[in-house]
Amino acid sequence: MNILPFIISGLGIGAVYALSGVGLVVLFRATGVLNFAFGAFGAIGAHCAWQLLEWKMPLAVAIFAAVTVSTAISFLYGRLFAPMLSHRDVVVRAVGTLAPALILIAIMGVIWGELPRRLQFPTDQMFVSLFAVRLTFTRVIAIFLAVAMVVAITLLLNRTRLGLDMRALANDRDLSAVLGVRILYTETAAWTITGIFSGLAGLLLADLVRLQGTFLTLLVIPAIAAAILGQLRSLWETAVAGLLIGIAEAVLTPIAWISPYRAAAPFIIALAAVTILGGAAKSALKDR
Amino acid sequence: MVRLPKQLLQVPVMMLIFSIAVACLANSFWLSAATSAVALSLSVAGLAILYGQLGLVSLCQFALVGVGGWVTLRIGHAFHPPFEVSLLAGAIVASVVGLAFGVPALRLRGLYLALVTLMLAGAFQIVISAWGFPDGGRGFLGRADGSGRTMLARPPMADGEVTYFLYVCAFATIGLLIAQWHKLARPGRAWALIRKGETVAVASGVNVLIYKAWAFALSGFLAGLAGGLLAGNVGQLDGRAFGAFESLNLFALAIVGGVFNWYGAVIAGMLLRALPALLTDLGIDGYVMIGIFGVALFQALGTAPSGIAGQISALIGRFGSRISRRRPR
Repeated sequence: MNILPFIISGLGIGAVYALSGVGLVVLFRATGVLNFAFGAFGAIGAHCAWQLLEWKMPLAVAIFAAVTVSTAISFLYGRLFAPMLSHRDVVVRAVGTLAPALILIAIMGVIWGELPRRLQFPTDQMFVSLFAVRLTFTRVIAIFLAVAMVVAITLLLNRTRLGLDMRALANDRDLSAVLGVRILYTETAAWTITGIFSGLAGLLLADLVRLQGTFLTLLVIPAIAAAILGQLRSLWETAVAGLLIGIAEAVLTPIAWISPYRAAAPFIIALAAVTILGGAAKSALKDR
Repeated sequence: MVRLPKQLLQVPVMMLIFSIAVACLANSFWLSAATSAVALSLSVAGLAILYGQLGLVSLCQFALVGVGGWVTLRIGHAFHPPFEVSLLAGAIVASVVGLAFGVPALRLRGLYLALVTLMLAGAFQIVISAWGFPDGGRGFLGRADGSGRTMLARPPMADGEVTYFLYVCAFATIGLLIAQWHKLARPGRAWALIRKGETVAVASGVNVLIYKAWAFALSGFLAGLAGGLLAGNVGQLDGRAFGAFESLNLFALAIVGGVFNWYGAVIAGMLLRALPALLTDLGIDGYVMIGIFGVALFQALGTAPSGIAGQISALIGRFGSRISRRRPR
């Protein structure tokens, strides 16, 4: 059996998981918030893009608007609401992000309904043939974006003052505050960055799978799976884990008896990872 | 003999007043909504034990409701026992599954537990959409092909809508009593110590492992009971109603309702089922409801950690102290 086509088709979804997982880890490292609303931020952006395309706006405007909307919402939550919970423990801060997720699902449901749609880019029609398999340009873009964003974030964290502040916050929040790290500024920057990630991931997933509010919101679950594999710490491990999860999901498709369950692959992998890495993970998760 | 604290008495009294009021006033649309609301309040009571007593976040409670419903339907269709037997079987299996889901929790805490349970809820969603709920067909999965759908019969003594509502209320009262007794008696004290810190608990001679596992089993039992009662309400269940999103929603509502008072669970159940019924009645889009839940969740987290029930009990407390202050004059 030739599984190469499935590997290649899994690369696209895998890249989206990688992008989302890295977006989650960046925010978690800097602020200690695990963003359950990540998928919802992306979903509302993707819906805006769909709406603009319906109104015959140019594609570039639609994409720009999508990323802007996701980023703006993420910024607003991070600037106005997240600080209200900043003194609470890590679980409460994560549960708090369920609130914007629910509100965004409601907004999308009222405006656009649950009819499954699909965002279509002209790049879906273009493809390169790789080992006699069609690889659409959208998937190529997804992979390229995932790599580019991880590189950009790594450079930001390692080379800039903001990155230094973020790493300081990740290490010890109180000590960083004493040393003069501008906590609110740094955290808001992290929220903005995660917003960009969510906008891009939402657009890509709306094109590769489908555009539907609750479906895109639950994108956060496989993305969290990738983030767990990266121990909520390492950007590169998260990105690779995301890619591998996407590939694993696709490769299981041809096996008939397992095929209906293949979407559970990310969760099973993450569960196994937590069980094995449990000890190491605990040290990364000292209550902050 | 087990000593029963006096505060337990308010549970059956309040539930009796509530159920009689609803049974007298509601029409069949509202009765159906109230029945699911009361059934679901049991599953919220389970969440309240985990989160309120131990501070553990479990995001797979609705999956356990699904397990309870699945087993109840399966046993009911396969062997046609009395409804109570299938219901109990559903609750026990859900309790075992809940315990198995909780095993990682014996090592993990905080955020990782929430994530693990979220993964489980996601995996359950996929399994249940592949399996479907049994509706009287043959084989392990019990899926009927084509036209052969059969409904699970309600218990003979509670065949009508009103009687089934009262039946569910009776079970809910028993479930809430069990949960409340646990909070007031020895397990509650043990859980409080574990929450303070596991070292504290161990030093005080509490068997941390047993009591944590017991909390998960009890929470699963209540969820399974809720699932079985839901299955009995309509006679069948829909797999799409047991997604990961429902588990998240249920947890959000448990916080909004209040996890520290037993009636917080009833309030959460009503919010989850009766409020949407009200909106449908008024012709408002059901999605508005989810948005309201979101706002309420953030409000509860930010300003009222003990939820609506906590605010009510504070109000009653203030009222009571004012009356008792006046009395001497």
